[in-house]
Amino acid sequence: MVKYPLILTALCIPLAATAEEALIEGNVQSKCIINTDINGVYGNPAPDKLSTKSVDGGVEPTIRFDVAIADYYLARITTPSSFSTSPSLSDVVNWTGTTTVGEVSDAGMSAYDAAKVTYDTTSEFDLTIAGSTWFKVDSVATYGFGRAFPGGTYRAIVQAECIAQ
Amino acid sequence: MIKVFFIAALFLAGKVSAHEMTPTYPPLVPSYVDGLVSAKMTMFNSRNDVDYFEVGVFDADWKPVPFAATAKIMRVPYGTTKTFEVFVRDEDKNRATFICSLSKLRTDSSARTIVSSKICSRTEAASP
Repeated sequence: MVKYPLILTALCIPLAATAEEALIEGNVQSKCIINTDINGVYGNPAPDKLSTKSVDGGVEPTIRFDVAIADYYLARITTPSSFSTSPSLSDVVNWTGTTTVGEVSDAGMSAYDAAKVTYDTTSEFDLTIAGSTWFKVDSVATYGFGRAFPGGTYRAIVQAECIAQ
Repeated sequence: MIKVFFIAALFLAGKVSAHEMTPTYPPLVPSYVDGLVSAKMTMFNSRNDVDYFEVGVFDADWKPVPFAATAKIMRVPYGTTKTFEVFVRDEDKNRATFICSLSKLRTDSSARTIVSSKICSRTEAASP
């Protein structure tokens, strides 16, 4: 006689103890962020030369690439080959530029420099490690054959691209 | 010493400006317009020197692919996120490889180099 209520109670207890599950979901998305940390300034160490190198009194543009997941993106940086703003120039401007790895968030990223592919004024880096990489860009413009740059404002553009692989 | 680095990092962080676009591998799905497929993209702008971005669609050889969007040059004010749709013809679905956003720079009188940023996503069909 006592058995039935006991069995019924036992059946009800597990139901009462059932709790709602709280689900926590997370999603890590592969993405690339281009940060322009320093825009850069041309120094004018000689009348015929404009340079972003610090030894020439310039400031090197610094671009940071943040990637959330390794091996998904390619960083492509193109140094200037013309001025976007300048006074009227009657002679040819010779351009040189290099892109190098500066600071890194992972020691393994130091290998990016050795593995980079360079063509024309562009350097390509395979971002094989997740994290942040700072790239430093040197840009040097010389005018004619020892001719002085005319006075005025000079501006050139560095193109930073992050391409999904 | 650590405090000095921390404070310096805070100041540097304040100067940083960034450009971001997701997803990395957007799917081209049938759209509400017959004969078109579309991809939904989201862009975030924290570059205070940039307000406008140009959208482009390219094939694997970086040749332009015809596309339609709300605006090809769109305004994404500093600190905001914008979601937009890119429409490609059905026949170009397999050719469209990259969807890119390029920052458009303003002309001003400062004598310095400036950085133009471009982020390209690869369509899901073209992803490895």
